[in-house]
Order: sequence, then C-alpha cells, then structure tokens
Amino acid sequence: MTFDAIGIAGTGLTVHRKWLDAVADNLSNVSTVTSTDDAAFRARYVTVAEGGGDTPGAFVAGAAWGSEEGRLTYEPDHPLADQDGYVRYPDIDMSEQMGSLILAQRGYQANAAVVDRAKTAYEAALQIGK
Amino acid sequence: MPVSPIEPTTATGYLSGSEALSALSGLSPAAAPASSGQVGASAFAEVLGGAVDSTQQLQAASNELTVAAVSGDLADIHQATIASTRAATTLELVATVRNKAVDAFNEIMRMQA
Repeated sequence: MTFDAIGIAGTGLTVHRKWLDAVADNLSNVSTVTSTDDAAFRARYVTVAEGGGDTPGAFVAGAAWGSEEGRLTYEPDHPLADQDGYVRYPDIDMSEQMGSLILAQRGYQANAAVVDRAKTAYEAALQIGK
Repeated sequence: MPVSPIEPTTATGYLSGSEALSALSGLSPAAAPASSGQVGASAFAEVLGGAVDSTQQLQAASNELTVAAVSGDLADIHQATIASTRAATTLELVATVRNKAVDAFNEIMRMQA
C-alpha cells in the first residue's frame, strides 16, 4: 500500500478493538453465576501475533480461555446452589480486567494517533517545494 | 498490507563531470549516472492516469466502507475512517503531481524571446 504507516496502525487498531471487546465480555460476565454442574463463565483473552514479511502489523491469532472451574462460592440461599450450598463464579479478577481495559484503550488511542501523525507527515511531504 | 522495499539510491550525476572535486578529495571519479531510458511522450500521461484510477478505487472502497459504517454492518469504525484518510491523502498526492506538471507546462509556455 502506498501510505503504509496508516495501514499498519490500522492493524493495531483492530487488535485493540478486539481486546476491548474481550474485556467488555469479561466484565459483563463478572457476576454470572452457574451451578456446580455446569462450567463457569470462562474469561476470554486475546492472543496476538505479529505480522511479518508482506503483512507487517499486529493480528489477533485467536482467543485463550480462562478456567472453567471458576471460584466455588458458598451461597446456600442462591437458587443455583448445589446440596452443599456452592455455586460457581467466573474466575475473573476485576482489577486485572480494569488494567487491561486501560491498556486496550490507550493502545487504541496510540494507534489512532499514529494514523493522524502519518497523515500529517505525508501532507508535509506534499508541501515540499510549494 | 505489504511494505514495498526501500529502493537503492542511484547516483544523481551532479558530481560526474567534476574531476576537480574528485581529485581534491582523492576519491575515484563517481560512477557515471545511469542514463535514464528514453521514455515515451505519453509516459507521464499514463502514470497520471494510473494514479487517478487507483485514487478512484480507493474512493470507491472508502464509500463502501462508509455506507457499511452508517448502516451498522462494520465492526471496525476505524476501517472506514482509515480508508477515507487514505483516499484523501492519495487524492492530494495526485493533485500535487498534476499541479506540478501544470506549473512546469506554464513555465515552458512563458518562454519567449
């Protein structure tokens, strides 16, 4: 592509958007309770691979999943509690997710800034000799 | 998106005739500049036409993505804005090249005794 810093930053934007989506998924399910017969909600983590050769940038390679054991919590009043009074909460650390949220947001903003700066730089090149 | 490799620089030819300079600096004379091949008269028109075509392609892609973005079919909003940025920058590049060519043409037309 002709203006490649823009395209490379675009791959970074996509990666961070997907990371934001994963964090949003995890945070929205942070209190999703399941019975001990079922698997707990599994936290979603994005795995990223660097591009190479003809396709520089960063790309989402796939998803990694958290524990399906979850946290066994004693809540005998819960409608889903088993005969011992336990339910499963997802094994999601709220503070870790909030940290990831900030990283994903700042990464997205950084890549958006790269697009802007690259455009400004290319425009400066077009002003040469005017 | 592939990055085209950086092309090796070629001699500008500024120094090819200046033996004095190479004698002063003790360097061997600069290699003769690669003589540019004879280009057809319409080469520039073809290049400019190709550039306009590729600009049109970029603008068509940008339009499609914009429609997809406003109709909610696009997961990544930045795809639309990046496509429009790329189209705008390319158009500016083509316009700059055209303006330079028109300037050169006018300069030549002003030549008279």
